[in-house]
Amino acid sequence: MTEYFAGVDIGSTMTKVVIMADAVVARVVGASGPEHRRLANRVMESALADAGLGFSDIAYVVATGYGRINVPFADRQITEISCHARGVASLVPAARTVIDIGGQDCKGIKLKDGRAVDFVMNDKCAAGTGRFLEVIAEALGLSLEEMGELSLQSQHDIEISNTCTVFAEQEVVAKLAEGVAVADLAVGVHKAIATRIHGMVRRLKVEREVVVTGGGALNTGLVRALETKLGLPLLVSPEPLLSGAIGAALLGKDTVRDAAEKGIPVTRSRQPLKEATFFS
Amino acid sequence: MTEEKKPEERKKRRTATEAAGRVGSMTKAMLANVPQAKGEGRPIAYSFICCCYDEIIRAMDITPHWVENYAGICGAKRDAQRFLERAEAENLSRSLCTYALCGLGFDAWREELGGEMPPDAPWGGQVKPDVMLGSGQMLCDPRNKWFQAAQHYMPDVPTYDLNLPWPPYEEDYDYREVQDDYVKYMVAQLRGLVEFLERHTNRKMDWDRLSELVDLTDRTWNLVHEAYELRRAVPTPMGTGDAMNTMVPLSFMMGTQQGYDFFKELYDELQQKIARKEGVIPDEKYRLLWGGGLPSWFALTDFNYFNSKGAVFPAETTYRMVEALYNFDIDFARITDPLEHIAWRWLKFWTCRYDKTRQRPGSHPDVERLIDYIEDYQIDGVVMHEAFSCRSWHVGLIWQLNLLKKIYRDIPSLVLESDIIDISSYNEADTRARIDAFIDTLEAVKSRAG
Repeated sequence: MTEYFAGVDIGSTMTKVVIMADAVVARVVGASGPEHRRLANRVMESALADAGLGFSDIAYVVATGYGRINVPFADRQITEISCHARGVASLVPAARTVIDIGGQDCKGIKLKDGRAVDFVMNDKCAAGTGRFLEVIAEALGLSLEEMGELSLQSQHDIEISNTCTVFAEQEVVAKLAEGVAVADLAVGVHKAIATRIHGMVRRLKVEREVVVTGGGALNTGLVRALETKLGLPLLVSPEPLLSGAIGAALLGKDTVRDAAEKGIPVTRSRQPLKEATFFS
Repeated sequence: MTEEKKPEERKKRRTATEAAGRVGSMTKAMLANVPQAKGEGRPIAYSFICCCYDEIIRAMDITPHWVENYAGICGAKRDAQRFLERAEAENLSRSLCTYALCGLGFDAWREELGGEMPPDAPWGGQVKPDVMLGSGQMLCDPRNKWFQAAQHYMPDVPTYDLNLPWPPYEEDYDYREVQDDYVKYMVAQLRGLVEFLERHTNRKMDWDRLSELVDLTDRTWNLVHEAYELRRAVPTPMGTGDAMNTMVPLSFMMGTQQGYDFFKELYDELQQKIARKEGVIPDEKYRLLWGGGLPSWFALTDFNYFNSKGAVFPAETTYRMVEALYNFDIDFARITDPLEHIAWRWLKFWTCRYDKTRQRPGSHPDVERLIDYIEDYQIDGVVMHEAFSCRSWHVGLIWQLNLLKKIYRDIPSLVLESDIIDISSYNEADTRARIDAFIDTLEAVKSRAG
């Protein structure tokens, strides 16, 4: 009988659910928003429907991400560092360093034997995160995808000197008023973020292969800027948005397998598929 | 209004030792003693820790008010913001030491009120001093300028700026070539302090009393060292969370019988706990070194959070400003001048790992200290705290960590980021997410090691 495992990754911007057996059988991505307490079970229901499964078919559920404590039906909560490490290691076995550019933080993770052995995080400042990109893209009147593509057409090197998101936005608006090309500004923004990320991850002594994941990995211009800064080619995760959720599901699978090998029962939450409340 | 803000109520941190649990009331009594002394006409000195003048002021019956301690108390009670904001309103930069900003904000406010304490001042507030004793030694640069800035609000209070340098570490020379000159300089500094205090407080130095207190301090140093060495036991009977309490008698009661007695009680308690195999937590999984940085005084419950994950801190470099004097390469019995004795003790404290460091090319005494503790206390990982406003103690922490990994081994590490008392720099959820992730990496490394 096939065993299914679910990974629920509640990030600051997106909620991601995957259901896996030997491979991913269902995936759903939804915006987290302020109601993410209520969202986890809805996204899970949607993923179950896609997979044609019921909740009772799931052998183990692992929740991760900033909202992981708001998933009462999860059997276990595991940090996003461990889940990203496990997810990327399964997707790109040669990975030794992971750079996760999320909505409101950025992480660098060092891998050994597929597990996180060191990490750094920026959770103090929006600069160097997806939020910085969103703010600037809005100021430029572009979508994130458009900004990434447009930056590849840049002809001139532009520096954005402010690292504070608010002041950088002002600086971009001022340069627009001066007539600086939008493509050049987009490059300047990517370089500014890449500089912040580089300053953080260099603490880890970055080793190849380096895999970029998270929403930021979808921005080609940013990945190029980061490659230049690091002086290394980067690999983009085949599942940039789902690396954490896949890792969560796989860690759930590991938990069940380890318990079976040791002949001990698996501890489960036994909570029904329901939304979180302040009292759950 | 800002002034009306009340501090947020905070859950009390659990301590592992009874001795650490008593420190709160000791601190309160110590602070209450200051206005009482002032009322009795005894001189008050604004003072800093680790300035070598503990025995000097006590021998002259001058009462210290420890300004860093008071700022820390404001932070621990989550009531520092209104004093920081007051300092900011005086146009003092928010990126300065927040201890200093808190103290200066408090002084500005108190003097504006004509000497009355700001409303609901934590634990009675800080009274206007008779003298202020600054320090230009290398530990902390704001301590040069803090009291000079405080004179803006108290121009009638004289300040003395003490300088206590020690020979810097160099791989290719022996500091002993210059140590006599350093001691001579420090003794002159200390003698100048005595003259300053005699002039401004109308007190005469009691040199016999000073010698007695120097001896008491020596014995306290040895006792603290021996008590803290007991924490090598597995499970460890005391963690860094408790050491952030016991730093009060260590830093603010040196040269007093009360300080000595406290550590005797702590020593006895730790021995009893070891005999009962009673650790900080019942199931100790990870032994961590607090490898540098002052703590966030408003978030000491984070140590309990580490404990809840099976992690304990048997050792820390922060505030462990003592060594066993009998291990130093000097015979203190041959020194008759108490000021010279104090100077040698200070110099030998800072240079005691120089010889060992030279045995490991590329190393540094600060890193050798980390290595000593990692080995002596069977440490699995290192945690540091970068407090944004404290430059002097925190600059170089990452460098130390990198050097440690380069010349010793790739030990798991965690760098927390916040401040000593500015709570606006702190996010509990993010901090605990980092701790969770660190525990995962410790587990991964342990699993790999088999």
